[in-house]
Amino acid sequence: MSAARLEFATSRSTEFVDLTARIRDEVGRAGLRNGRVHLQSLHTTVGLAVNENEPLLLRDFQGMLERIAPAGAGYEHDDFTRRIDIALDEPVNGHAHCRQLLLSAFLTLLVEDGELVMGRWQSVFAVELDGPRRRQLAMQLDGDFVRRHATEMPDSLVEVELARQLMVDPEPVAAPMRRLVEAGGKRLRPRLVQLTAGIGPRSDPLRAAELAAAVELLHNATLIHDDYVDESTHRRGRPTVAAAEGPERAIAVGDYYFAKATRLIAEMGNPAVTSAVAEALEAICASQIDDVALRGTYPGDRDSYLRVVRGKTASLFAAACASGALLSEAAPDVVGALRRYGDLLGTAFQMADDMVDFSPSSGKPVGLDIRQRVLSLPLIYAADDRVVGPEVRKLLAGTLGDAEVGRVAELVTTSDALPRVRREAQALVEDAVRQIENVELDGLRPVLVGLARSAVDRSS
Amino acid sequence: MTAQVLDRELDRLEGLWSDGLSDAYRAYLESVHRFEPDARPKLALAAALIEVGTRLQGLGGRAAPPTTLLMGDLCLARGSRLLADNAPLAVQVAFARAIESIASAAASSSAAPPTRLLLQQSLGATR
Repeated sequence: MSAARLEFATSRSTEFVDLTARIRDEVGRAGLRNGRVHLQSLHTTVGLAVNENEPLLLRDFQGMLERIAPAGAGYEHDDFTRRIDIALDEPVNGHAHCRQLLLSAFLTLLVEDGELVMGRWQSVFAVELDGPRRRQLAMQLDGDFVRRHATEMPDSLVEVELARQLMVDPEPVAAPMRRLVEAGGKRLRPRLVQLTAGIGPRSDPLRAAELAAAVELLHNATLIHDDYVDESTHRRGRPTVAAAEGPERAIAVGDYYFAKATRLIAEMGNPAVTSAVAEALEAICASQIDDVALRGTYPGDRDSYLRVVRGKTASLFAAACASGALLSEAAPDVVGALRRYGDLLGTAFQMADDMVDFSPSSGKPVGLDIRQRVLSLPLIYAADDRVVGPEVRKLLAGTLGDAEVGRVAELVTTSDALPRVRREAQALVEDAVRQIENVELDGLRPVLVGLARSAVDRSS
Repeated sequence: MTAQVLDRELDRLEGLWSDGLSDAYRAYLESVHRFEPDARPKLALAAALIEVGTRLQGLGGRAAPPTTLLMGDLCLARGSRLLADNAPLAVQVAFARAIESIASAAASSSAAPPTRLLLQQSLGATR
């Protein structure tokens, strides 16, 4: 059971305050999976109602209340000469009390699969009958809650574990990795590990954080080598390890954390987890070779793109999902479903990342992928476009200076390439969501669905 | 049996066989007698891939060009996966610690023990 107070202020004598969104937030925050939300007005002149939030209809309701219990209609409650123990500021509000009798002071709402059960036109109102005032509703949530370690495991647990691991390493390798880790990153892979590690019967938040941190270190180790290969000068707004300290140091730091992460994972003593991550790492390395090879036929084609992205990006998403579930000893069908979810999500995530390269509001220089000849689906579609394709291909075949990169980016954004990629990414996310529809996820489905959808929304 | 295993595990890395990988593999075969017969070629190959991989990368020396680095990365990853699937936990951990020590020495420009010696010792790890 979870309890809270919903506070709000009103600004008119009669007012319908729509609390639906706030109640939804409370359900999500509490992790209520299936159950009930109980609301109780703590005032005798505030009622509760479920109805349609349509402004003219709300005026109808107000008119109805005024007709049935008009203000100043000679209420005995307002005859202060006959009442005892009245406060100095006692309001003349007999009409408000009578109107409240027409409403309810209590309300119960149902929650199914983490969602408030509401009809299409229904909203939840607190009805102010004697405002303006500050008001409070008592709220209790009861039913089945998502286990706290699954949705509310603090991200800080992973951050603490990352810091702890970096603290014990020799400074020549720890310092560059610390700079990269502290520069941020989306931390999607560790988040997936933490979430899926809460599903099975042997869920342990500390072990999940250790695995999540190791997966993040492994991911960063691959980025350090990638940045050298791609000749990238900056990552997450800071100089890359190769640019700042030279390729020799970059190779050593990448190798150190590749080895350390695999050791940390092996030491967890779950062979299935070790194998899942090792297979992903091999897929990443093999696909990186394909990626570089494809730059000879830049921008390449969709099939080649998908093959590379599934190895380079999606494999670690899939391994993150599967390894978390395996660590908690989730059922094989759950592990399989989560692996497929991660694979599709990872591919969609990369497509969304490709689109960011064409977004001036992303904070990154527009056209960086074009300049570095990084595989990009919008570019592949633009190159295939009947109208802009010939010019895109011609520009990509030549030397890419600022003007050429700018022109290619302009052509991509004026074509149908970006909407096409967005639609494809969204379709993959929906496919990912379908993978986890028919397995028992201990109430985690809404979180995983939300995470997947937000992963492709970031470019818009 | 051994030839089939090697064929499968050398996918994309065939060119390395005649470029030092076979010599390293044969050297490590001498260190895997204590393991089950099926696991021996896999563990010897894992060690050989890791030795050749670090050499290709230029770890501890001059950095390899990008495409060569990627081949080295794939050698390390495949060696690591072979260990994950076939080696006892103590051996997996010893290999990882060996790479950590070689990489750490490289990052601080100090000398590391010979890679082959470290990896042969790792194959003997029991705890």
